[in-house]
Amino acid sequence: MSDSRWAVAHVHASFNNTIMTVTDLTGSETLAKSSGGTVVKQNRDEASPYAAMQMAEEVAENVLAQGIDGVHVRVRGPGGNEQTNPGPGAQATIRALARAGLEIGRIEDVTPIPHDGTRSPKSSGF
Amino acid sequence: MRVALTGTPGTGKTTASELLDSDLSIVHLNQLVTEEGLALGHDESRDSAIADLDAITDRLDGRDDVLIESHLAHHLPVDRVVVLRCQPEALIDRLTDRGESAASARENAESEALDVVLGEAVAAHGESAVIEIDTTDRSPAEVAAAIDRAIDGDGPAPGSVSFIEYLT
Ligand SMILES: Nc1ncnc2c1ncn2[C@@H]1O[C@H](COP(=O)(O)OP(=O)(O)O)[C@@H](O)[C@H]1O
Ligand SMILES: [Mg+2]
Repeated sequence: MSDSRWAVAHVHASFNNTIMTVTDLTGSETLAKSSGGTVVKQNRDEASPYAAMQMAEEVAENVLAQGIDGVHVRVRGPGGNEQTNPGPGAQATIRALARAGLEIGRIEDVTPIPHDGTRSPKSSGF
Repeated sequence: MRVALTGTPGTGKTTASELLDSDLSIVHLNQLVTEEGLALGHDESRDSAIADLDAITDRLDGRDDVLIESHLAHHLPVDRVVVLRCQPEALIDRLTDRGESAASARENAESEALDVVLGEAVAAHGESAVIEIDTTDRSPAEVAAAIDRAIDGDGPAPGSVSFIEYLT
């Protein structure tokens, strides 16, 4: 079998929610997906590190069971509604994936930058 | 009072700012940045000037009773932030109609879906200083009326709209 044991975890962390999709390395096949909204009841908590962590645990178990050993992570969006710590959703997600037993490969920040002939100097990064 | 009128490009800031009743004087910040070269450099891939926020802050120092209109406005010292929102597909239509490239429209739509501007505004000024206005199905005049109310402190708190389903 030539099946890769590596996959790509796409993490989208917004102010309102954190969602994750795991695809094969080409991005064409989706292996698992989940959002913070599926694991917490209160709308306001969907972007919390707790929700992100719960979601990541579920997804990690799912893809480990599919024979995946490790993931490269592509993060979009600082996310989270806790102003003191930008990006709690994204960071909590990555930590939870590692804790569940997945190897973490390259972590890339591909957060989009609003622009219209001008842009802000700092990418919002995580 | 200093008010930032911000939001992802295409949400209708410049259009609505022309229709306000407010007595605040209006600063069209993108124009100021371009005309006065308040930039640190140029982002070639986005064909955009990289704004020099310190130079802009100095340039507007001492200006009170202003409404600063730009997707950069929430990076400046202000008392209140009004964030315009627009459903990402509708935003792409507006930006494409305005003549922006497909790549630019797509990156701005993704920024909008991820609440990038809203998140930055809340991180910089706190939730209580930020009011969010969904412009998706509202005319420019209706948006302007909602901004006038927001200047007085009345309007939805951050998190009132979510466009993340655009990404799924
Ligand atoms: N409320 C609205 N509904 C529909 N289209 C709008 C609205 N406000 C602005 N537009 C259109 O969308 C485009 C972007 O508006 P503009 O005011 O330039 O946005 P911004 O200054 O936020 O980048 C323009 O073509 C404008 O005519
Ligand atoms: Mg404008």
